[in-house]
Amino acid sequence: MSFAFRTPRRAAVAAAGAAAAVVLLAGCSAGGTGSEENAGEPVSGGNLVYATGDAEPTCLDPHVGGNYPQALAASQYLEPLVSKNDDGEIIPWLASEWQESEDGLSWTFTLREGVQFTDGTPLNAEAVKANIEHVQDPETASSTGYLALQKIESVEVIDELTLKLNLKAADSALLESFSMPWVAIQSPTALERSQEENCAAPVGTGPFIVEKWVKQDSITMVRNENYNSPPADAAHEGPAYLESITWKFIPESATRYAALQAGEVHVIDNAQPDSIAAAENNDVIKHLDAPRPGASNRLELNTSKAPFNDPLVREAFVRAVNVNDGVSSLFFGTAERSYSPLSSVEPLGYSDESLFGYDPAEANRLLDEAGWTERDTEGYRVKDGERLSLEFPVSTNQSIPAEQSLFEQLQATAKEAGFEIKLNLLDLSSWYGALAENDYNLVSAPYTKVGPDVLRILFHSDSTVPAPSGYFANLSQVKLDELDELLTKGSETSDPAERAALYEEAQKIVLEGYYILPLYDQQNHFLYRSEVSGLRALPTVSTPTFYDAWLNS
Amino acid sequence: MGAVFVLWAVATLIFFGIRLIPGDPAEAILGGPGSQASPEALEQVRRDYGLDQPLLVQYFTQLGRLLQGDLGDSYSLRMPVAELLGNQLPGTLLLSALALLVAWLLALGLAGWSTLNGKAAAVVASGLEIAAAAVPHFWLASILILLFSNTLGWLPPVSTNSADGLVLPVLALALPLAGFLGQVMRESMLNAMTSPFALSARARGEGETGVLFRHALRHAALPGIALSGWAFGSLLSGAVVVESIFARPGLGRTLLNAVTLRDIPLVTGVALVSALAYVVVMAASDVAERAADPRLRAA
Repeated sequence: MSFAFRTPRRAAVAAAGAAAAVVLLAGCSAGGTGSEENAGEPVSGGNLVYATGDAEPTCLDPHVGGNYPQALAASQYLEPLVSKNDDGEIIPWLASEWQESEDGLSWTFTLREGVQFTDGTPLNAEAVKANIEHVQDPETASSTGYLALQKIESVEVIDELTLKLNLKAADSALLESFSMPWVAIQSPTALERSQEENCAAPVGTGPFIVEKWVKQDSITMVRNENYNSPPADAAHEGPAYLESITWKFIPESATRYAALQAGEVHVIDNAQPDSIAAAENNDVIKHLDAPRPGASNRLELNTSKAPFNDPLVREAFVRAVNVNDGVSSLFFGTAERSYSPLSSVEPLGYSDESLFGYDPAEANRLLDEAGWTERDTEGYRVKDGERLSLEFPVSTNQSIPAEQSLFEQLQATAKEAGFEIKLNLLDLSSWYGALAENDYNLVSAPYTKVGPDVLRILFHSDSTVPAPSGYFANLSQVKLDELDELLTKGSETSDPAERAALYEEAQKIVLEGYYILPLYDQQNHFLYRSEVSGLRALPTVSTPTFYDAWLNS
Repeated sequence: MGAVFVLWAVATLIFFGIRLIPGDPAEAILGGPGSQASPEALEQVRRDYGLDQPLLVQYFTQLGRLLQGDLGDSYSLRMPVAELLGNQLPGTLLLSALALLVAWLLALGLAGWSTLNGKAAAVVASGLEIAAAAVPHFWLASILILLFSNTLGWLPPVSTNSADGLVLPVLALALPLAGFLGQVMRESMLNAMTSPFALSARARGEGETGVLFRHALRHAALPGIALSGWAFGSLLSGAVVVESIFARPGLGRTLLNAVTLRDIPLVTGVALVSALAYVVVMAASDVAERAADPRLRAA
């Protein structure tokens, strides 16, 4: 199915009908995967308590900044123009149809009719225009949303429900970008308030409304009684079943799990491997595994300096570390090994297991070939008086304890081949600092974005140029004209087959060059009590949605 | 005067200390993990928060504001620091005060019991005190949750505003402190029980319990009072751990987040309030010591 609807208006109505059919089908399939239990009738009412272990957002408007904690919360009260279904196809949400021009330089969106923001402002073309301008305004200080909408040059309002976007360059990722919560649509009336006010209580079209935010404690969200704009794959219509949601911040993972067990909360995120394993033996607790899209979790090998400027040493490292044993033991079988730069939920992900087998003999041979032939008294390899030593800054805010233990195991296995890995556990700001000073040989950095265009952010040579903050996303510092060209073309090509071919070629280059060592999907595990039914994660950035959820008493 | 100097030193140390650690506050303001700030956005944030000014200018600007009682706005929570502290301080004060009280009661109880029950009791009490004093807050809190929430199901693992939610966090803070206090209190209580005035009290026909309550208790309290100022400071640092584990809003948790996010105004605000609280409690423990010990009043 193509995601560009090159259809006249009438046919689009048929498309909407088809979308409605998708609703029914998706309703069934969702029942088959996530919520087959308690298949009773939905119950209206009740307050659901959700406990997040992610950071507390600094602002509830995800246009401002733009990180995952904001996406988690915003998925309950804001809605984007489009969504994705379980097969990875773009489906209607606030936009009912869309059309790309022949040259790819403009897009026309038609909005759903009769939708209102919770402050009474109608959803129309003017409102969407105001949102795009809000994201692009430097005063908003948007990061993720800003990058997603970077290619939009201007917005024209055609009529009440139609708008046209003019682009600086063709953008095959535009619909994927518009599916993300970081560019969800807010009431233009509310956006005119001060940023403080809008951060405290953004106004959207979603099934819930932000009522109160007590910093460092909780956000209270209440049901939107006039809700009428579910995405095309939702299981029901009309207002949500739940009357309200209490969104609690519980940073400590053991406490979060204890609170779930005690029945004080109904759903937790950031469930740790040991809790998930414990929950397997607990009848009242269920597990929802929803890996994040975008990049897989991977080690990036800094090719800008010795020793990883030598491809032989890069391959030797990859062969020298035993990832699989560490992953299976430390993650209790909750994480699956990846051999791709992209998450397993990305339809265009390409993987090649043969490149990443654990082979100490081969690692030793490669290091000999690369000239690291001597060993010092501690057993590390030496060349020209220099030890084969790797700096590995680890962000304790981003790497969970199991992952930190995995890195220690990699450290131990790499030692046998003669690599010294210096693990430095750092808080987030110090970690950013180490990267900005190019003071690393290995690093693990998450990146969430819908669609394969994330490859351009991570591996295009443009991304080696640091922002004024010193941060850059291309941490392996690959600079290859051939790769740049594939990624640029991929970002402009809407033809699905051609796009897939370009991204496959790009991923091959990344994998075969040993610029990264893929580990596993970005872990996104939810545990919930069995009285919760109808919970699912949105297939876009895997945030939970409580629109279809209800509580059995 | 001394207090003012302490506050100035704290503000200065925090300001430059935080700058010494690598990392850009502007980046942190824009959200941290997973977000990639545009140059324009970073510029905007630097302008908004005055981070584009030379360091010394920023320092004096901040001192000037502090002198006027303006603690500035938090980078990470986008609220006036004073308002945040006003919201978070009562919870932490309540927690610390209760923990101090419980620690005192536990320490005195154990010291009194061991004093009245001879050598073997003294060994047991001393062992308990050393064990309690050596336990890290983090570990203790986790064990308390495991025992009282998961296994027994008596108390909630998350500390809400209800009274039963306070029990575990207070215990997690109070037990190690009780160990410290108990060690010194028992020592002076034992000394008092063998001193001449105890002897003469017994000679007047007073029972052991009477000697303990009427005479030894006051002696035992003295080192405890002297330590309480220090103890209060240790409670504030313990609160960082305990508030995070029990998901309790408060000064400690605020500080932890603020340091991680390089939220300079907020870190400064929390540090100043803690320093001020410390100064006040030290002064109060001085006064209490004088009240309890006539010798100090004469001096």
